[in-house]
Amino acid sequence: MAEVSLQNVSKSFGDQVALENVTMTVPDGSFVVLLGPTGAGKTTILRMVSGLDKPDSGQILINGEDAASQSPAERNMAMVFQQYSLYPHLSVRQNLAFPLKSPMLRTPEDEIIRKVDAVAETLQISHKLDNKATELSGGEMQRVSIGRALVRKPQIFLMDEPLSSLDAKLRSDLRIELKRIQASLGATMLYVTHDQVEAMTMATHVGVLDHGKLVQFGSPREIYEDPVSIYSASRLGSPKINILPAEIFPGAPNGATSIGLRPEHISIGEGVEVKVGRVEHLGDQTRLHLKIGELDLMTLTDPHTKLTRGDTLSFLPRNPLYFDANGVRIKLGA
Amino acid sequence: MSIKKPVEHIAKATPPSIARRVRGLSDRAIAWLFVGPSIVLLLAVNIFPLIWTINLSFTNFKANRLRDAEYIGLRNYERILTDADTWQSMQATAHFLFWTIFFQVLIGFALAYLINKKFKGNDLWTTIIVLPMMLSPAVVGNFWTFLYQPQIGLFNYVVQFFTGVEASSFSMIGSVTLAPWAIVIVDTWMWTPFVMLICLAGLRSIPDSIYEAAECDRASKWRQFWTLTVPMVLPFLMLAVLFRGIENFKMFDLVVQLTGGGPGSTTLLTSIDLKREAFEKWRTGYASAYAVILFVTVFGLASIYVKALNKVKER
Repeated sequence: MAEVSLQNVSKSFGDQVALENVTMTVPDGSFVVLLGPTGAGKTTILRMVSGLDKPDSGQILINGEDAASQSPAERNMAMVFQQYSLYPHLSVRQNLAFPLKSPMLRTPEDEIIRKVDAVAETLQISHKLDNKATELSGGEMQRVSIGRALVRKPQIFLMDEPLSSLDAKLRSDLRIELKRIQASLGATMLYVTHDQVEAMTMATHVGVLDHGKLVQFGSPREIYEDPVSIYSASRLGSPKINILPAEIFPGAPNGATSIGLRPEHISIGEGVEVKVGRVEHLGDQTRLHLKIGELDLMTLTDPHTKLTRGDTLSFLPRNPLYFDANGVRIKLGA
Repeated sequence: MSIKKPVEHIAKATPPSIARRVRGLSDRAIAWLFVGPSIVLLLAVNIFPLIWTINLSFTNFKANRLRDAEYIGLRNYERILTDADTWQSMQATAHFLFWTIFFQVLIGFALAYLINKKFKGNDLWTTIIVLPMMLSPAVVGNFWTFLYQPQIGLFNYVVQFFTGVEASSFSMIGSVTLAPWAIVIVDTWMWTPFVMLICLAGLRSIPDSIYEAAECDRASKWRQFWTLTVPMVLPFLMLAVLFRGIENFKMFDLVVQLTGGGPGSTTLLTSIDLKREAFEKWRTGYASAYAVILFVTVFGLASIYVKALNKVKER
């Protein structure tokens, strides 16, 4: 329904650069997750696309058309704010019905009731419909805020950490639900999160932001398996990728100063000797904290492992990632 | 043995109450020591006069005569409530109350709405707008009598400038029909800033993000104003109305300076009427009954209003 494209978009707040020359195309119907630490510019991108903020330079195209002259209302998008932004003087029901009462939609009253009930059901807040918005817990407010976006059928969803204050069970329920709704509506989604499970399971594309620059854009697998830098590689993966000096292991290419090891890059058997530190049994997997001399690394092993603290074992890297002194990836065979 | 030890420990750790160390007084006694003086003061200057006034209202006591007062039952009340002049006073007060509140809310809210738009120098404008409120009512009353002067008054000149009506052809405080409006205009001029300040506090309490959400929910500016701004400022606005209502019900100084209740008794507000009965005609008993009636009226209206205000806040 909508392709969103950012062309050389820059934005500063005072002397704080929020976005620098970001060019990115969000294909129609795709689910794009923006990753990056606080202050990387994720929320700024959402606000630009929504039309709440205007870029200092560059263009935002929606379906190939320059959106600069379009108000937020004209862009037909729905936004979930990080701080919820519920209407405090209205009940949950009135909050959810608010977007439907837009004269642009002219929804009949009985349909409003039906839609609000359906959304409340999905988000498991039916029992709170008549509460005031201010009488809710953080997680409930967040769900109302998602509900306000879901009641109508916008062409673009913009969600700023929409599941951050929910408990684990609800979060995994809603992850599936959001993905389902987005797919069935065929709406384009721009989604900000810190949660790597959300990124890996929901996204069709991931954009990695670093201090306002888009450093990598691709499918979650691409970002995971083929990161352009240490920074990109560190965004995905649990446990986090281990970055060690390249010279510890034989076979480092020219110019490589760091080696990046994910658990699947670690082949236990022979090679460099390591000491087992902590062993964390998580049930479905076991996390091993290893020590090579003074260096720490973490990997996964069999859930029923017999290893304990103080054991020694040996391993060799298998198809690891190499990075140069600037943290840029060195591709082998290139 | 192992149980006894921690108990001893706790007992030792609890410090003796401060009160017990202060000359053997209990906590309660110390509390009374603090509240006592204010309670005595309150009784002396508020509660006792109130009760005494109620008592006097059933007598024909005159404060300038030495003879003993007689109890005359409800006669004072009967005379006040059937007196046409009193009712005229009440009407003048109602007119004054209604229109001052109406204009002050309307203009005060509009000004607050404009000032709240972030523009250059809005702090300076706020200060300028608030100035009238800082003046003494007596001073305001005095210089408005000059502004209202038919020959040299700026007000009449401005009216002439805009409407073409001859400046010297009318007198705001001399005319029976215009005088009630003259006091409304001055009070509005003086106290609109107060309403504006309270509305401004209300407007500033609404976070920008609410409007951003509404913007995304495709609500027009018009709808945002009526469904978000107005309901969220309403409790503040109602509070301003309460303050202004109570203040203007007992309005005295400004109007006395401006019109002295005239011409005739067209601007004779109840508080001025009451003062004349009490301290010019010295009908103390009668005036006491009058005061009780006014008190009950204000108190009753204010209680109903505060209930409504709380309901709005709870919404």
